[in-house]
Amino acid sequence: MQARCRIGIDVGGTFTDFVMADLANGKFYYHKEPSVPKDPSRAVELGIAALVASAGLPFSAVELVVHGTTIGLNAIIQRRGARVALVVSPGNRDVMDLARSRMPNSYDFTAPREAPLIARDLVFEVPARMRASGEIVRRPTAAEYESLVASLRAAKVDAVAVMLLNSYRDRTLEAGLAADLRKSLPGTLVTESAELWPEVREYERALVAALNAYIHPLMESYFERLKTRLAALGLAAPIYITANNGGSLGLETARERPIDTILSGPASGVVAAARVAAPGNRAKLITIDMGGTSTDIAVCVAGEPEFTTATNVGDFPLMLPVVNVGAIGAGGGSILWVDAQGVLKVGPESAGADPGPACYGRGATRPAITDCYLVTGILDPTRFLGGRMTLDKAAAEKALDAIGEKIGLTGPDRALRAAASALRVATSKMATETSKLMARRGLDPREFALLAYGGAGPTQANLLAEEALLSEVVVPLAPGTFCALGAILADVRRDYLRATRTTIGRDAAEMASLMKAVAEVEQEALVWVAAEGELIGEHQLEIAFDMRYPGQAYDLRVSVPPAERTAIDQEKLVALFHTEHARHYGFADTASPVQVKNLRVRVTGRVAPLKLAAAEAKEAPVPIAHRRVYDRTGWVEAAVYTRGQLGAGAKIAGPAIVEQADTTVWILAGWVAAVDPVGNLILTRAA
Amino acid sequence: MKLDPILLEILYHKVKAATEEMSITLARTARTTYVKEASDFGTALATLGGKFFAYPETLGVSGFLDLDCSVSIAAVPDLEPGDVIITNHPYDSGGLSTHMPDLQLIRPYFHDGKIVCYGWDFVHSSDIGGGVPSSISPSFSELFQEGLQIPPMKLARKGELNRDFLAFYRANCRIPETNMGDIRAMLAALEIGERRVSEIVAAHGVETFMQAQIDLAEYAKAKAREVQRKLPDGVYEFWDLMDDDFATKIPIRIRLRMTVADGLIHLDFDGTDPQVLAAYNIPTGGIRHPWLTLKLMHFIASYDRTVPLNYGLFENITVNVPKGTVINPEYPAAVGVRHATAIRVNDALVGAIAKAMPGLVPAPSGGTVVPTVLAEQNPTTGTRNVMVLQSLVGGTGARKGADGVDGRDSGLANLHNTPIERSEEDAAVQIEIYGLRPDSGGPGQWRGGTGLLFGFKILQEGSAVLGRGLERMVFRPWGLGGGKPGATARVVLNLGTPEERDLGKLDMYLAKKGDVVTFLTAGGGGFGDPFARDIDLVVRDVALGYVTEAGAKRDYGVVVRDGVLDKAATDALRNAPRAVAKESDFDFGPERPIWEQVFDDAAMTRLNKALLALPVAARHQQRRALFADVCPRLPEIFTIGMQAVIDDPKAQRQRLLAGIEKLEMRVAAVAAE
Repeated sequence: MQARCRIGIDVGGTFTDFVMADLANGKFYYHKEPSVPKDPSRAVELGIAALVASAGLPFSAVELVVHGTTIGLNAIIQRRGARVALVVSPGNRDVMDLARSRMPNSYDFTAPREAPLIARDLVFEVPARMRASGEIVRRPTAAEYESLVASLRAAKVDAVAVMLLNSYRDRTLEAGLAADLRKSLPGTLVTESAELWPEVREYERALVAALNAYIHPLMESYFERLKTRLAALGLAAPIYITANNGGSLGLETARERPIDTILSGPASGVVAAARVAAPGNRAKLITIDMGGTSTDIAVCVAGEPEFTTATNVGDFPLMLPVVNVGAIGAGGGSILWVDAQGVLKVGPESAGADPGPACYGRGATRPAITDCYLVTGILDPTRFLGGRMTLDKAAAEKALDAIGEKIGLTGPDRALRAAASALRVATSKMATETSKLMARRGLDPREFALLAYGGAGPTQANLLAEEALLSEVVVPLAPGTFCALGAILADVRRDYLRATRTTIGRDAAEMASLMKAVAEVEQEALVWVAAEGELIGEHQLEIAFDMRYPGQAYDLRVSVPPAERTAIDQEKLVALFHTEHARHYGFADTASPVQVKNLRVRVTGRVAPLKLAAAEAKEAPVPIAHRRVYDRTGWVEAAVYTRGQLGAGAKIAGPAIVEQADTTVWILAGWVAAVDPVGNLILTRAA
Repeated sequence: MKLDPILLEILYHKVKAATEEMSITLARTARTTYVKEASDFGTALATLGGKFFAYPETLGVSGFLDLDCSVSIAAVPDLEPGDVIITNHPYDSGGLSTHMPDLQLIRPYFHDGKIVCYGWDFVHSSDIGGGVPSSISPSFSELFQEGLQIPPMKLARKGELNRDFLAFYRANCRIPETNMGDIRAMLAALEIGERRVSEIVAAHGVETFMQAQIDLAEYAKAKAREVQRKLPDGVYEFWDLMDDDFATKIPIRIRLRMTVADGLIHLDFDGTDPQVLAAYNIPTGGIRHPWLTLKLMHFIASYDRTVPLNYGLFENITVNVPKGTVINPEYPAAVGVRHATAIRVNDALVGAIAKAMPGLVPAPSGGTVVPTVLAEQNPTTGTRNVMVLQSLVGGTGARKGADGVDGRDSGLANLHNTPIERSEEDAAVQIEIYGLRPDSGGPGQWRGGTGLLFGFKILQEGSAVLGRGLERMVFRPWGLGGGKPGATARVVLNLGTPEERDLGKLDMYLAKKGDVVTFLTAGGGGFGDPFARDIDLVVRDVALGYVTEAGAKRDYGVVVRDGVLDKAATDALRNAPRAVAKESDFDFGPERPIWEQVFDDAAMTRLNKALLALPVAARHQQRRALFADVCPRLPEIFTIGMQAVIDDPKAQRQRLLAGIEKLEMRVAAVAAE
């Protein structure tokens, strides 16, 4: 059979999510498989088999599998990675211990600092030293080298990361040492910092190398098992892995550079949001992903997620370009509590999956946000997650009643009012955090639509939109498997960086050498993308420069507009910088020369786009039930629908509830919901 | 509290978020490097009484929560909508601005013609004129050297900027464009604050908004008092010393008498040294001031992480700060480097809290925040290029149940360091070492954090190295509860070579090409008997290199040879009879007891009382003359050590007491006139 289906997979802690798109008829298939923490590839195998069978297709119908996983991230957060040694230049043994020398909290002296990723006894100095100019002032003698090798052997490590000072400038000294070590230590993985990411700042670059080494064995064996299992199924389609930058990588690249995949889960969700919302021309989006422990937020402008090069992975800063996802507050499992002065608090502690909120009936006595949705009537205890789980309302009420008592409420509906109060507190906090986040970017939230996914996102979204004065909420068709959908919507993509030492605006020769370096990196990118598989159609290059006036302490990133990329010259580039500088700082020093510290190249290989299927027209929906919901300050009568009832063009008015297999959508009084041409539910304020 | 607790929690987040948005706006557009590199800026909302009821949680300077705008506001009557007050004046602003680069703006926010609160912000500008670029030097003695003085006045009237003021201002700073960028950023932040306040008032009503200001402070006050009740009632006296005051080698003594009664705390600084002829004075205005209470704020926030950040947190604290002392100087004493003294005020508070309840707060840290500065001379143009190679701190002290933090200290400011690769890009140096200093953490059952080692080779002739403000070179970060003090700080030329020599307290060292200059900062104090430290932890410290094998044997009674524990030898050392440590013990190391054989508390308190009765100029002369008489070799202390300075304690003490008596007679005579 002609291959015609793409499968997206997102491996989470509790469930592994699957989405399959059949390009022949535009149909989408969804599946959730309980995760198998001991061998995540087992859940992938089972899920794919179930999914393909449900469509009645053979495995040969699958043309592409795109896969996201948090295995690497979890290993870093839980510190379960490989035993890694770090090799550094003389005097730099404490690079991991010192980090950037900041403490996690300025007020609280009991807050501990992070434990270094690599302890001091696994960091080894070798007499290899390069200056910032690239001049090599010290090479290890044969005896010094042998002593290093002996130390590494004695340390019995799985992997070695090498980071020599100033290797961002010229990687030869570091690469030479790494090559020797590979020969001397067969079977031990050796990673080089500048090979992975040649950017200035020794701690952050050492982390890139060390984190890559730390998760490498784990990811390697996972990928190997995955490949074997899928091959055994008879599935011959190529496997891609989603990346931090919202793109995807061929399996072989991902095996070499697992560090590029660790934050891919959240990134995929944002990619899906950008693509799914596009048909309505919603160029400006705030996305929220509300799960059990927290609510994550991201911003898309002009159909592209926003990127950052300053993020954190567990306790560590990451300098690689990633889709910018931040946290704004409580998740469904966030626990409510009351302090000694009788003030109600939400989170940050979470009930997790076990015992979970009180209503899960697993013995929890402290209520969580999900209990509040249940007690106020937004959730139906018998129809939660399409009826897959029955909630214990009495347990939730009992837990909330205790909270009500502590905050001084009286009367028989104390639990109910405590629940409504907690939702007000949580919503208000999310709204203020959203507002701050937009302020940080200099954006006006009123121009943005809110797209909600994750299990609780669509339940909370309208409350947040109302409080944060957003005008529109988008609930996609399958918010519970959204990251898996993002996987099959992603293009192949990789970022490159080179440090440069160019001052432009003085003479043409310097600009020529800069552009020569750009051409070299572009060539490297093109060679890479050409080898990433046959599915890739056209490709696109983007370039940017990190620039500053001489004497400034910080760089400003200047992206070259796509139309200018091949025609960029000194005059244009300097003008772009001055303009960007004026936009950020209100002035430009047009008489000054300009330094270029880094050049950046991004290559994107387009995977033939998926067409989202047009939503079917259906009969005007009739509520399947009505139920009372306590909305903030009083009771309202809400109509209840199922998502399946809502065809293209359907319109319903709040207060209303839409139940579906993976979430519950809560629509406030004063808002209306309509289904757009691709099936998104669009909530707006009633005229 | 009158508002219901749900509304209060919601309003707390809203007003806090408003100040955080102000900070974000300011940081995004400000131009001074202090904002971007050191987060040296602040935003807040102030009550009609000028105190902060809303403050950001993680943005800007955390320590200025208890500043007071009231004096600056009262100085500018007839405020109208769109007016903005500006000041940087340490004295006329009533201690709102604590050195002059800190430019302060205050804007009244109106609703229906009445002020409902004030927006406040500040930035540390890169330059405000004065004797040196960046306007700060410890060598200054008067405000006039420290730049342009701006008493509280209107920067804007009804939204119109005061052009005359701005022209005058620009003419008095070295980089007016940068400063103007900062002012624009601050104005933008105040506008955001106004917009958010009017939204909150619109959503909740003005009465609720006004009530929330009161209730939030009461809420913080109640929470803070609960924490302060951990301290038993009583009177606790403690004093600590800075090595010197830059102008002379006379130490600066901060003296504190802390009285606790049912969670209420009174801090009496009577007996503290007079103001100095260097920029180390802290202009507190003699009121409860952030620089005096910082450690109590950390104490409260550490034991109740949900306490709302507003002035109420300090409302259970009162102070007495005598005028004319180094922590309440008289105009026009210089104040530029006031934070160096603030570290020792922190330590005095730590000591008093430890006396009240040992183990609650960490022993003192390495006690220094010192920029290592390189001044290079361009061989052709002769121009000087000045850059900070690294900001150095010491380690933090240990407390009961927890080791100190190695090589980090957020006690005063939570700064990030400068990557080696960045420094080497800009400066002609090769950084030979940047790491932790073994054996420098104060030994204890819980070990003090180690200090830092930072050494660099000079690659170019004509370079000078500056390390101003390096502290704890004489008086160690003390140990608590049987713990030992951290190692003292040093600056060493060509460490580990035959040419090695101590550079003492470095002002400016003119280096030769090829010189290696190494800074060694102090470790934090230890807590508890080091011989009671878990043997496994000592072995681990040795394996990781925080403690040497020699140090483990000497300080901990743990014998490790080539990484292997010698259990029998260890038992023998540890079981030998020794003095039993008490939780109430303080260990200052040898230097302070030697010093206090002559300069004890009673004599110093008497001396300061007499000095403060004299006119300011006479104080300095008399004090200098007295110390010169008692300790002629004091100027050499950083190279000869304490024992050589106090070489005849009996005679020296007699000379001191005679000198004090003479002073007291002179004061009595003046009073009689």
